[in-house]
Amino acid sequence: MATSLRCFLRSGKRAGLVAAQRGFSRSSAAAVQVNVRDALNQAMDEELERDERVFLLGEEVAQYDGAYKVSRGLWKKYGDKRIIDTPISEMGFAGIAVGAAMAGLRPICEFMTFNFSMQAIDQVINSAAKTYYMSAGLQPVPIVFRGPNGASAGVAAQHSQCFAAWYAHCPGLKVVSPWNSEDARGLLKAAIRDDNPVVFLENELMYGVPFEMSEESLSKNFTIPIGKAKVERQGAHVTLVSHSRFVGLCLDAAAVLAKEGVDCEVINLRTIRPLDVECIEGSVMKTNHLVTVEGGWPQFGVGAEICARIMEGPAFNYLDSPVTRVTGVDIPMPYAKILEDHSLPQVKDIIFSVKKTLNV
Amino acid sequence: MKTMLAIISNALCRITGKNAVSGSRCDLHGLEAGPPVRAELTREQGLQYYRTMQTVRRMELKADQLYKQKIIRGFCHLYDGQEACAAGIEAAINPSDHLITAYRAHGFTFTRGVPIKEILAELTGRKGGVAKGKGGSMHMYAPHFYGGNGIVGAQVTRKPVDCIKVPTTSIHS
Repeated sequence: MATSLRCFLRSGKRAGLVAAQRGFSRSSAAAVQVNVRDALNQAMDEELERDERVFLLGEEVAQYDGAYKVSRGLWKKYGDKRIIDTPISEMGFAGIAVGAAMAGLRPICEFMTFNFSMQAIDQVINSAAKTYYMSAGLQPVPIVFRGPNGASAGVAAQHSQCFAAWYAHCPGLKVVSPWNSEDARGLLKAAIRDDNPVVFLENELMYGVPFEMSEESLSKNFTIPIGKAKVERQGAHVTLVSHSRFVGLCLDAAAVLAKEGVDCEVINLRTIRPLDVECIEGSVMKTNHLVTVEGGWPQFGVGAEICARIMEGPAFNYLDSPVTRVTGVDIPMPYAKILEDHSLPQVKDIIFSVKKTLNV
Repeated sequence: MKTMLAIISNALCRITGKNAVSGSRCDLHGLEAGPPVRAELTREQGLQYYRTMQTVRRMELKADQLYKQKIIRGFCHLYDGQEACAAGIEAAINPSDHLITAYRAHGFTFTRGVPIKEILAELTGRKGGVAKGKGGSMHMYAPHFYGGNGIVGAQVTRKPVDCIKVPTTSIHS
């Protein structure tokens, strides 16, 4: 008895090991680096395993492992009945997916990019979004439409459009736009488990970006509630609201501005519809200044909606200056690199807008 | 391609410099007459088509090289191997006829009259390009040529009405 006690007291390292073996709580879980692509892949894998009604269909999702390799390994694991390659007909396979959802399955319909969803937008809006309302609750459509959204690199006008505002305009849809791996994983699991049609807007340029993920966020039942934004960085002077890839740019701008004494609060919307207005209002009532940042076009866009909602609510009286929207330029995306670079918000544009809003 | 080359070589060997090309009769529906079953290919025409095809081939091989060097960005759908389609279609229509195609558009862009320099400038994003560098590989246009369409299937329904002959008389005449 005494000897074992002495053993414990002698080496703290052994004591720690023993503590771990006995399942005592440890200070911090080991953080793992996971990129957005793998986070999406794992989320789909786990949901396919959890519920046999879930299946994935789209162009190149099965044998090619996904056009962007997001569904790598899934066809090998789940086979032809769960992972389905479709012909190049978005209207066709989106319609098939909606029909399957109405019949009781839980499809994940992948668009190679959301630009191609315009071919199928009738199915997304008229067949999926409106049906639950039109049937007075009799017919739910538990479908997820996912794929890369917004500008990529050098793919020109017809392949670079942002559809956040387009889909968020429509009642009956939920629209989510993850930024990092944790967002991607949690929101995709929540979207698949949601009984409503969800439009899941990914970003091709984020697929390969690694982020640290906590043990909790890697657990099988980790979901992020749809409709809740996250404050990525606390601040006191100005609120930056963004979604998808531009959250990263806002954080970069905040780091630069911090050196100049400007403290930015950065909000990651995570969900476009329903918009988490309370989070934005709470932040604006604290900082008194608001700048919205998005990749889409300015007119009738996400930033425009935020401006309107702030104006309609209590936060309006707390604004010390008008809201500034930082958006993509109001033109079809040009092909030439120098034009393309200047058609989307850059860190310097965010910094410029913050300084203009704060009048510094 | 093989038959075409055989015909060309035959044509070059002949003293008269002309050769006959035969097609097969096709079933008709709603038409009074079908396409002719005989056509004549002169030595000059044969050489002209060959020159067109070779030019497109050389241009596409260069575009391939530039794409691998990342001087051409984004998408680059090459036309090498398919040159006979553009050359053949252009031989059968007039420059005033209307033409539209899908995303593999470089061949038709050339046969519809855009110079090589403007095509390569467009692919490399320069303002000397046919669309001033703003369109890129899939969005090149010319008189009576409606591109270049990036979305699969868009060109099918977007084809100009009466693409062979635009009516000049009023319907009430």
